Amino acid sequence: MNPAVFDQIRMMASDLFDVPVDRITASSSPETVENWDSVQHLNLVLALEEKFGLQLSPEEIEQMKSIGDTAKLVDSKLQATPR
Amino acid sequence: MAIVIEPYRPEHEPAVQEFNRRLQQSSGDPDLVFSQRSVPRWLPPADDSPVWNEFFVAVEGSSVRGAYGLKQEMFFVRGKGSHRVACYHHPLSEGIIDRRYASVGVLLARDALARQPLLYALGMGGADRPIARMLKVLGFCLIPIPFYFRVVRPYKFLLEMQALRQARWRALLMNIAAATGTGWLAIKSAQALSMLRGRAGDFAAEEIPGFSDWAEDLWNQANGNVSMAAVRDAKTLRLLYRADVTSIKRLRVNRNNAAIGWAINGQRRKDPKYGEMRVGSIVDCWAAPENAAEVVQAATQALEKEGVDLIVSNQSHHMWCRAFESGGFLKGPSTFVFAASKKLTELLQPLEENRTSLHITRADGDGLPANF
Repeated sequence: MNPAVFDQIRMMASDLFDVPVDRITASSSPETVENWDSVQHLNLVLALEEKFGLQLSPEEIEQMKSIGDTAKLVDSKLQATPR
Repeated sequence: MAIVIEPYRPEHEPAVQEFNRRLQQSSGDPDLVFSQRSVPRWLPPADDSPVWNEFFVAVEGSSVRGAYGLKQEMFFVRGKGSHRVACYHHPLSEGIIDRRYASVGVLLARDALARQPLLYALGMGGADRPIARMLKVLGFCLIPIPFYFRVVRPYKFLLEMQALRQARWRALLMNIAAATGTGWLAIKSAQALSMLRGRAGDFAAEEIPGFSDWAEDLWNQANGNVSMAAVRDAKTLRLLYRADVTSIKRLRVNRNNAAIGWAINGQRRKDPKYGEMRVGSIVDCWAAPENAAEVVQAATQALEKEGVDLIVSNQSHHMWCRAFESGGFLKGPSTFVFAASKKLTELLQPLEENRTSLHITRADGDGLPANF
């Protein structure tokens, strides 16, 4: 996992879910973060798309089970994106 | 396992039943159910039908994790012709009871938008509810639709209006107002004051079994007064208000034996917020601006004859709002919200100019069969 991408996503999640950034870990998920509901999940998707210039497909959105999964997904999409 | 959204087919029905069972068991809310039948009871798809319902399910292996409906219909947009539009309704997600499925709500809403970018949702219980908030995040424009009510029996209203009696002190005040007659006086005075704003002319109303050419003429004569409305031509009205549906009444309003408008009345199903009151609703209406007051009065009189205690209606068009106010209706807080997708909002531009001449009523969206 790219640490820079992971850190950016942690910051984003911290803002969205109103949780201190040091409490956002790779295993943070809707089950462990109280404010991570369906509306905030959508906010996270839109924030990722805007920040990283990506389009997430339904299959990819569904893969976002945790912050770690999300960071891996974004990293792999960035790697695959021609620069 | 990946979640795939696909049209609801008969083979999904057992999994939908199981989905409903899980939702009800965990939430305790009997209303959290999706249709157990893959073919909609109301407005099933049919050849040559201008309006129909279709359902979609989010499938994970052999389980259903979410579902939603689309009511496909034609919208008239002034100066821009007719457009196929869909109402996004009954979205239900396993995420309501299991956070592992928090993504399902997003998948459902995006899937609906991909299928029909000209999308709207209606009602939703208010702009602060999760569905409305999600649609707002997706760029939908949220417009509250004004709520009007007329108290026919103040005594019963004061004792039974549970939505206003939540606070003990207010319930006590309402009891006193009912017992002393001051509540009756206050409500009747407010409604009478409201009626000073205008007066209906001569009219005669009749209950009718259905809609024919006269309704087509009314639609064509009056649609230039609305910025946007679901098409209400005779063919669509016959589908929406089928002759065999007895839970609603169709009224034709005449002057000199010629139709000047119509209204659909219904009595709302029991709702805890209304207590034991019989609640009538002016569900839908149509007329040229100069005849709106007559239609409101005809519909009101018909419901009063049926013995309802309270009459309610949701209306967005300024002309109809004025007609309800001059018909003795008071405006109350509304939780009935119209949410238009970005593409649909583009059609409504200039929005500030057009939003008050949108024609949205309780009959739009999906609420018709559920509420009456």
